[in-house]
Amino acid sequence: MIELIAHNLAPIMFTSVMALLLLGYPVAFTLAAGGLVFFFVGVELSVFAPDQIRLFPNLLQANANRIFDVMRNDTLLAIPFFTFMGLILERSRMAEDLLDTIGQLFGPIRGGLAYAVIFVGALLGATTGVVAASVIAMGLISLPIMMRYGYDRSLATGTIAASGTLAQIVPPSLVLIVMSDQLGRSVGDMYVGALLPAVMIIAMYCAYIFIVTLIRPKAAPALPAEFRTLGGGVVSLLAMIALTVGLHYLLYHFVFDGLRYETRFVWSATLATATALAVSLANRYLKLGIISRLAEQVIIVLIPPLALIFLVLGTIFLGIATPTEGGAMGATGALILAFIKRRLNMTSLKEALDSTTKLTSFVMFILIGARVFGLTFYGINGHLWIEELLLSLPGGEHGFLVVVTIIVFILGCFLDFFEIAFIVVPLLVGPAETLGIDLIWLGIILGINLQTSFLTPPFGFALFYLRSISPAKAWNDVVTGKFIEGIRTTEIYKGALPFIVIQFLAIMIVIFYPRLVTHYKDDEKPMNLEDVQIQLPGMGAPTAPGAPSGLPGLPGQGGGGLGLPGGLNLNGAPSGLGDQSGGGQQPAQPSLGLPGLPGGLNLNGSPPPTGEPAPAEEPDLSQPPPIQ
Amino acid sequence: MAPLLKLSRAIDAVTAFVGRSVSWLILVAVLVSAGNATIRKVFDTSSNAWLELQWYLYGTVFMLAAAYTLQRNEHVRIDIVMSNFSKKVRDWIDLLGHIFFLLPFCGIMVWLGYPFMMNAIRSGEISVNAGGLTLWPAKAMVFLGFALLLAQAFSEIIKRIAVIAGIIEDPNEESDLPPAVREMETPAHLTEEGPKA
Repeated sequence: MIELIAHNLAPIMFTSVMALLLLGYPVAFTLAAGGLVFFFVGVELSVFAPDQIRLFPNLLQANANRIFDVMRNDTLLAIPFFTFMGLILERSRMAEDLLDTIGQLFGPIRGGLAYAVIFVGALLGATTGVVAASVIAMGLISLPIMMRYGYDRSLATGTIAASGTLAQIVPPSLVLIVMSDQLGRSVGDMYVGALLPAVMIIAMYCAYIFIVTLIRPKAAPALPAEFRTLGGGVVSLLAMIALTVGLHYLLYHFVFDGLRYETRFVWSATLATATALAVSLANRYLKLGIISRLAEQVIIVLIPPLALIFLVLGTIFLGIATPTEGGAMGATGALILAFIKRRLNMTSLKEALDSTTKLTSFVMFILIGARVFGLTFYGINGHLWIEELLLSLPGGEHGFLVVVTIIVFILGCFLDFFEIAFIVVPLLVGPAETLGIDLIWLGIILGINLQTSFLTPPFGFALFYLRSISPAKAWNDVVTGKFIEGIRTTEIYKGALPFIVIQFLAIMIVIFYPRLVTHYKDDEKPMNLEDVQIQLPGMGAPTAPGAPSGLPGLPGQGGGGLGLPGGLNLNGAPSGLGDQSGGGQQPAQPSLGLPGLPGGLNLNGSPPPTGEPAPAEEPDLSQPPPIQ
Repeated sequence: MAPLLKLSRAIDAVTAFVGRSVSWLILVAVLVSAGNATIRKVFDTSSNAWLELQWYLYGTVFMLAAAYTLQRNEHVRIDIVMSNFSKKVRDWIDLLGHIFFLLPFCGIMVWLGYPFMMNAIRSGEISVNAGGLTLWPAKAMVFLGFALLLAQAFSEIIKRIAVIAGIIEDPNEESDLPPAVREMETPAHLTEEGPKA
């Protein structure tokens, strides 16, 4: 009996800790306590199943160092930066300015307000990664207007909730950052990979609205012309857009043609936009009258978000800043913006810092809990059990991805995305690498999936936020003097359904057309680090399924260096291997050539012996050079 | 019970003070990080000490604020099952969780964190990066963070017992919103206007 338990300790541990999580006690502490209890059980049982259980009492001490590794994780440093940026932007009321102006621009066409919401949702998503702020701002501003002019309630609420979730897939999103950390890939690559799928999803949302306006024109009526208080003048806006796009095209093909793809794009787009801005500002302050007031206003409200997008994504793609530093640049930009608009005071700054602190603290503690859990779980070969389970699925690559999509989709109905990212995603890395699945591709698929989890009733956060701010009782509309019925919760749920279907389609498209994502590799030379990793034998469990990963009795011999079978990146970070030297986003470097070093044992608390500067690697232009 | 509740209030005051104070370090980290990128680009120079300072600051923030976050009941839970339980059952889950999950975890981490910190202090260990910072202040955060969290665990146990016994009101008000975003949720400038005209 005891032997049976000992041999099946991994499944027992997994199911019992998952069951404990359902009790509703904070996830971080439940995971950690489960990890510790099973650590002691495992040590006791190790004599009965020495092949599977590689735990011994002194290994417990590795936990201190593992938590320290969570602390020095450069990638996750981006979480507080982007959260803080989102909170400050919310207070600077950028969303309101945008919705007001863009709504006026699109309003008079059929479905116009819905397009405006999608467009603004995408812009907000590209500046920060916080869903709550987007949904709340759009719900408070656009929903009453949409109700007033007779939009279908479900269509309106669904569009607002779904557009708010765009913050999760449009770079720089927290989902993508956490995902690349857990998958051990560079955030920059993850951002490049996410661009096309994100654009595709935005286009699909717009296509849905367009189809609705064709089939049921009354569901999304055009607004009367007097709604546009800025007056007409679309022609000059179109002219300005044509000018900007043309300039961008010229710069892209003739001026910056010697540069790398992203660099070229960023520079030419920036210069072209700056020109358009210069014209608008000149028009406003010199009263030139070249372009209409509408065009001028549209271009001017687009300054803050575009400037922030440049500060964040531009600096990252140009290689000026790491994604973490991009977050800091964005946060600084948001502070300056809020300050200029006189919407920053001591109270709001304190509130934003306080919320950021608590949010990051709970997120990082889930990761700490997951790492304490992981030390035990990997020590009893839990990852091999999961890998066998997932690899026994039929259908190879696509079968694996479809099943993973379905599992994560179901989990996403109940769990927070941080929980999924820190508990489930690390378990998928091994099997995915065995199947030869590109991890960025996997990350984007999971990212879209997690974005969808914000939309699924009954626990989708976006629906939750929208419910909390949309009026439940009838209210008197001051403009029309009519009473408007309150929004029912079922109407919100119903509105989300078509968008969930769209998301599902998007995932399937990305699964069956991986080129949407994998173009990120095009600039790299064929012989890059990832290939080297895959060819190296004995580097850790993922490359040698089923084979005992190294010497028995020495956990951590796998090469990851931190008391873990290598490559699994349970470390939560490719750290301890010189990544602090500024280039923190390089893929986890297995300690090449040092597979036998018990770097993870490290019982005296000194840095692991592998903690030297990363081995020479090919220059990655999206990263600043590491300082040696 | 009264002296215990007094102790609990004292612990709460300390952890809240620490939590609120360290939140300013986020602002410092933002400025340091943005400064690092700018200086590297403009002056083509960089220092490992400044790069390391970013995560020193962030590590300090989340380690030392964990107790404050617990006090405000903002560590996330999976509440699908829990939300169907009565208040009484939820109180008991919290109490038992504090005693059997949180206390042992914090206890072990304090016990492991102390030698981890002392070794670093004694050896005067310095980061492996050229020009890096002395490591012990960062390593001490593991110990200090869990020590604060351990103290907060005791405070939470005292409060939860008092709540179950009916001596005090629940200090964490019930809310429909997920705690992590509750504060994000109250953009005063938006709600006061109501549905906009």
